[in-house]
Amino acid sequence: MSIEKGKICNLQLLFLITGFVQSSVLLIDFTVVITEHQTWMVILAGLAIAIPFILSYVALAKRFHGMNLIQINDAVFGRFLGKVISVYYIFFLMMTLSFNILDVGELYATFLMPDTPFIILLIFFTATCAYAVYKGLEVLARVSHLFVVVGVIVIVSTFLLLIDQMDFSNFLPLFELPFIRIFHGIHIMLSIPFGETIAFLMIMGYINKTEHMVKNTLIGLFIGTASLLIAAVRNTAVLGNTEAIWTSPSFQSTRLIDIGTVLTRMDFLIGIAQTILIFFKCSILFYALVVAVSQLFGLKSYLPLVLPLAGIEVIIAATVFQSPVDHAAITQDAGIIYSVPLMFVIPPLSLLIAKIRALPKAERGKGV
Amino acid sequence: MIILIVVYILILVLNVPGLIKRKEWRELTAFSVLYVIAFTLGLLYVLDVPIPSPMKGLQHLIADVLGIKYPKH
Repeated sequence: MSIEKGKICNLQLLFLITGFVQSSVLLIDFTVVITEHQTWMVILAGLAIAIPFILSYVALAKRFHGMNLIQINDAVFGRFLGKVISVYYIFFLMMTLSFNILDVGELYATFLMPDTPFIILLIFFTATCAYAVYKGLEVLARVSHLFVVVGVIVIVSTFLLLIDQMDFSNFLPLFELPFIRIFHGIHIMLSIPFGETIAFLMIMGYINKTEHMVKNTLIGLFIGTASLLIAAVRNTAVLGNTEAIWTSPSFQSTRLIDIGTVLTRMDFLIGIAQTILIFFKCSILFYALVVAVSQLFGLKSYLPLVLPLAGIEVIIAATVFQSPVDHAAITQDAGIIYSVPLMFVIPPLSLLIAKIRALPKAERGKGV
Repeated sequence: MIILIVVYILILVLNVPGLIKRKEWRELTAFSVLYVIAFTLGLLYVLDVPIPSPMKGLQHLIADVLGIKYPKH
């Protein structure tokens, strides 16, 4: 039984993935403090390592077409172990969603609306995401290209407006940092923008045709990564060594835009783009979470759970970390370690087990 | 506190009559469980009662108990 009645097309999948990856532009700041001017390398290495894993997600979605992650876990690991693994995934989705809601709260509380109570920012943002989830996956997918276009325009325009202030010698020396820092940076990149695409296993089952899923997923990933790369290059080229000391290098670099003293304080562009893109990412994560919980409980519809889950997410986001410093420290450590099995072990293992057991045909034959 | 109660009454009014009318008992049960959790968390937050962070627990488990952590750079 499928909870989602709507269908999305392959092109919409491409935009959904692009927007999802693009929305992590602000989150590369977690990597910048570790990998400094070599962040661009870490983004590319992260993409290269992530591709086989993401392809395993697509292969799973194609093999179990019409099923979501929770159903796949039940089919592959059996009812008991499948449910245990699904609860682990639900915990991951809950935490990831709360971190992203918190990111928007911190963005507004630090840069845009410092006098507004923090909890009010979280409530209004989560309520907006809940509204999007209420409207369903199809609606979100239909407008996905608009989010991507806004993101691309802001990233490219701020890059072009800052070209005169860029110093490309800031990228030198090329291989200066110790391996452990590069490894740590790659792990953050692997987990945050790329590994989180595991949430798409709650969506990919609703694609009408599976023929071009691999191609569209890869194109989406490449466009999203190009956005991250442009932002990373812009920040390093403009800010140099000081990049690692700013709370948000993206905000700081765009604040330096000064075209004839007319075009100044362009950091509001980053604020707008980030709000839109993180809203998009949170809506996808929220959708994945609410469908996953509904599937676990065996419900016919996910709609009754949207508002209670939104209430839970607001409180988790408000209390999970004591400060932005705490947020960064835990995300860079336990935050990326606990999700390793979910992103890089269970999906390939599921695929292997499905191949060995010739699933899902055998399961369907049993009427499950 | 009053705002919290008003919001949660509104959530109840928006969801429960429809669920009862359609006799979706399983949905109603799931809704009730999450509703109680959400309201309790909201109440604790409003009353300034410290809510334990699951990430702090995970950090303790992964870094301190299992010893898996990155060196400080």
